[in-house]
Amino acid sequence: MIIVSEDEDESDSSPLLFLRQPVHDSVLNINHDYRYLRMGYYVSAHAETYGVEVTPDCTEIMDAYRNPLLIEKARRYGLPTNGYRLVTKPKDDLSTPVMLLAVNPFTNNSMKIVKSGSKLPGMIKKMSMDSRFPVSLHPVRGEVLEIIQMFGESSNDETSEFARRFFEIFNIPICKLIVQIDDGNVILNHCEPALRKEVKWDIVHEKVHKIKQSI
Amino acid sequence: MKIACFVEAYNFDDKSERNALLKFKSTAESMGHLFEFIFKEDITRIPEYDALFIRATTDPSNSAYIVSRLAEQSGLKVIDDPRSIRTCSNKAILHDLFLKNNVPSPRSLLFTGDYSQENLDSIFKTLGCPVVIKTPYTRFSSHVEKAGNEKELIEISKKYLRKSKVLIIQEYVQSHFDWRVGILRNKVLYLCKYCIPEGGWKVKSKINGKNVWGDTIAVPRDSISPELENISISLSKCVGDGLYGLDVKETDDGYKVIEINDNPSIYDGYEDTIDTDIYEKIINALVS
Repeated sequence: MIIVSEDEDESDSSPLLFLRQPVHDSVLNINHDYRYLRMGYYVSAHAETYGVEVTPDCTEIMDAYRNPLLIEKARRYGLPTNGYRLVTKPKDDLSTPVMLLAVNPFTNNSMKIVKSGSKLPGMIKKMSMDSRFPVSLHPVRGEVLEIIQMFGESSNDETSEFARRFFEIFNIPICKLIVQIDDGNVILNHCEPALRKEVKWDIVHEKVHKIKQSI
Repeated sequence: MKIACFVEAYNFDDKSERNALLKFKSTAESMGHLFEFIFKEDITRIPEYDALFIRATTDPSNSAYIVSRLAEQSGLKVIDDPRSIRTCSNKAILHDLFLKNNVPSPRSLLFTGDYSQENLDSIFKTLGCPVVIKTPYTRFSSHVEKAGNEKELIEISKKYLRKSKVLIIQEYVQSHFDWRVGILRNKVLYLCKYCIPEGGWKVKSKINGKNVWGDTIAVPRDSISPELENISISLSKCVGDGLYGLDVKETDDGYKVIEINDNPSIYDGYEDTIDTDIYEKIINALVS
């Protein structure tokens, strides 16, 4: 297995070097950002072109980072969600408080929470870029938390079992998850890149070391 | 069968595109199928259908990718499928695919912003001059520019690198037209010449400050040369078994593939002029 990372001490190749070479072995792609058109994505795409197994693969990346795909996959695998609705313009039957997530090619860190019904139409108009792109709406029923998931470990003890299940289902080594804690239950709302400084690299290092030993 | 055709409002702006969409609908209905146009807000209705045909512009960043993937997961027959969208929408991934599969194509390099003199010299030594600079997400000849010297290469690439980590720099191959080979299920569906407008160097060129498209000349698909057919089918098989449009240059050194596109243009009075059965063949691919 080839470990590709800029940040992990035990990596075998940097992303840039990896992209310039043919691939003949399975790949573990460790990055805090797998967004489309970023290096993290290209590493997985390069491995796929050469027909080798890669973690995560491009389908898994897209399933996690595109909000409707994330929620549909979570539902299928029984990971709790509280549903979503896609809109491109304000509707009469929308209620607050609500979490809004932009489903467009340009935005990262797009999550907004709107508590007042009067502010909702303006926010939908803005986030949909005047009805050009959908906005994913999630009801807010609990406390909203951002956690960092690293190989199934969570930066927050309360969500450790949830992070383990998330990794099992989505196979994304590192990401930021937006969740709600509602009556003790952890509910998934969104997945996006973590910032490099948010990642506990000692946890990542420990996990990678174990994976290497098991090969 | 119930066929959903995912479109956006802009698909109806151009008369030829609008007429082609209506031909798809009437063809499907004459074959006994239901054919409905669906838009972004109908995404959650996808499981109601048996097949999905995407005509809105596809890209992994667009709504069309979400529609395609949801349809695939719901067991629908899908054109364009998610893998084809991911592969064809990104010219850096195509560069990789061409290298891996020895596809005859202009010499190309990935560029990530190494402006050392050694690298700049090496680019022109390897590719010649001028060179073509492309972003991975280029479409309809946009985000593609020609650089005739080092200064232009630096200027253009710095502009594009603001939005992309990777660019493709390619040998410039001059021609009066590109072959457009339409492929469906790894068979030739139609054949056209996409002409380069006079005074331009690509199919959509800026001439005297205005965007000008070259003519489209349809050619009978049966007249395709065996070599071009063989190259086209071999490449389409590397991507999948969907609907593709290949752009190929004919040179003294043989054919050189520029790119393979998912979601190829099909306009009434253009691609369909000679082989008029392309609508029926696409509907058949969706329902069989």
